[in-house]
Amino acid sequence: MTDPKQQPGMKEYIAIWVGLLCIVGIETFLTTLQLSTHRLLASLLLLAFIEAGIALLYFMHLKYEKPNLFWSLVPAVIFVLFMMNHIWPDAYRMLNLRVPIQ
Amino acid sequence: MSESEITLGAGHAAAMEPSPYAIQSKKLTMWLFIISDAVTFGAVLFGYSYLRAGTPNWPTPFHFSPSIVNGLVMTFVLLTSSLTMLAAVAAAKQGRKSSCLLWMSATIVLGIIFATLHLREWFHLFADGWSLSKNPLGGPVQFGATFFSITGLHLMHVISGIIALIVIAIGYKTDWLDAGHVETTGLYWHFVDLVWMFVFPLLYLMNTAR
Repeated sequence: MTDPKQQPGMKEYIAIWVGLLCIVGIETFLTTLQLSTHRLLASLLLLAFIEAGIALLYFMHLKYEKPNLFWSLVPAVIFVLFMMNHIWPDAYRMLNLRVPIQ
Repeated sequence: MSESEITLGAGHAAAMEPSPYAIQSKKLTMWLFIISDAVTFGAVLFGYSYLRAGTPNWPTPFHFSPSIVNGLVMTFVLLTSSLTMLAAVAAAKQGRKSSCLLWMSATIVLGIIFATLHLREWFHLFADGWSLSKNPLGGPVQFGATFFSITGLHLMHVISGIIALIVIAIGYKTDWLDAGHVETTGLYWHFVDLVWMFVFPLLYLMNTAR
């Protein structure tokens, strides 16, 4: 079982919570800049992945579990999401191939 | 202890070899549920992102005040509920039952506040004429379909989490459930928070009028 001594205390959790709130603040600030849709989407996704990674490792204690739990779960999810990314662009092809609306 | 009992004990020990992940089976089950749910949310968020980025005249109905401010308050409430849940799990592991129940109650209250703010946002949009298939601003109607379905799916998870927390808190109070159950429910609650970290920027911030 997980050794509770290895896990961070409430002070560390509060520091992580403040850090996550700061990232949300940066995301909101980025929205006020005149970035293109694609650039804003990429920036927000990058920050969201950083936030999710922190939450996964510290709040969900994945960092403090045996490494084989991480290696059994996370690469599988990344692989599935990566493969989905290959399927969705097909929607653009379908948009271009469809019969134009009169 | 007789020889047969020792042999039986040894047999059980061989049959009950430790988990390769060194965690309780309920926690592993929750992790497996979480990764399958992560893929579900990944699918809908990927689909939405492609639609959003590929549609030039996509509507941007949100303004900083009140929509984004409301979203920021919701984010603050949900992130804080993760913190109170961590305190509840820590208290449960140390056997401080009353402290654990207090922190779980705080998490439940914050979850209810989040759901209320979410529904208030929805009703404002309904009042402005938005629905699953209607766009009062003109242009693509997919905004309503994607916004209400994705935030609805997340809201359903929040409400399910609140119900689960209430059940677990009652079970823990009456010694029917143990600290492991509190920890497992905490995992689910953090996952709901994790999903919101994608929903808020992609569905609120990306749809802010600039």
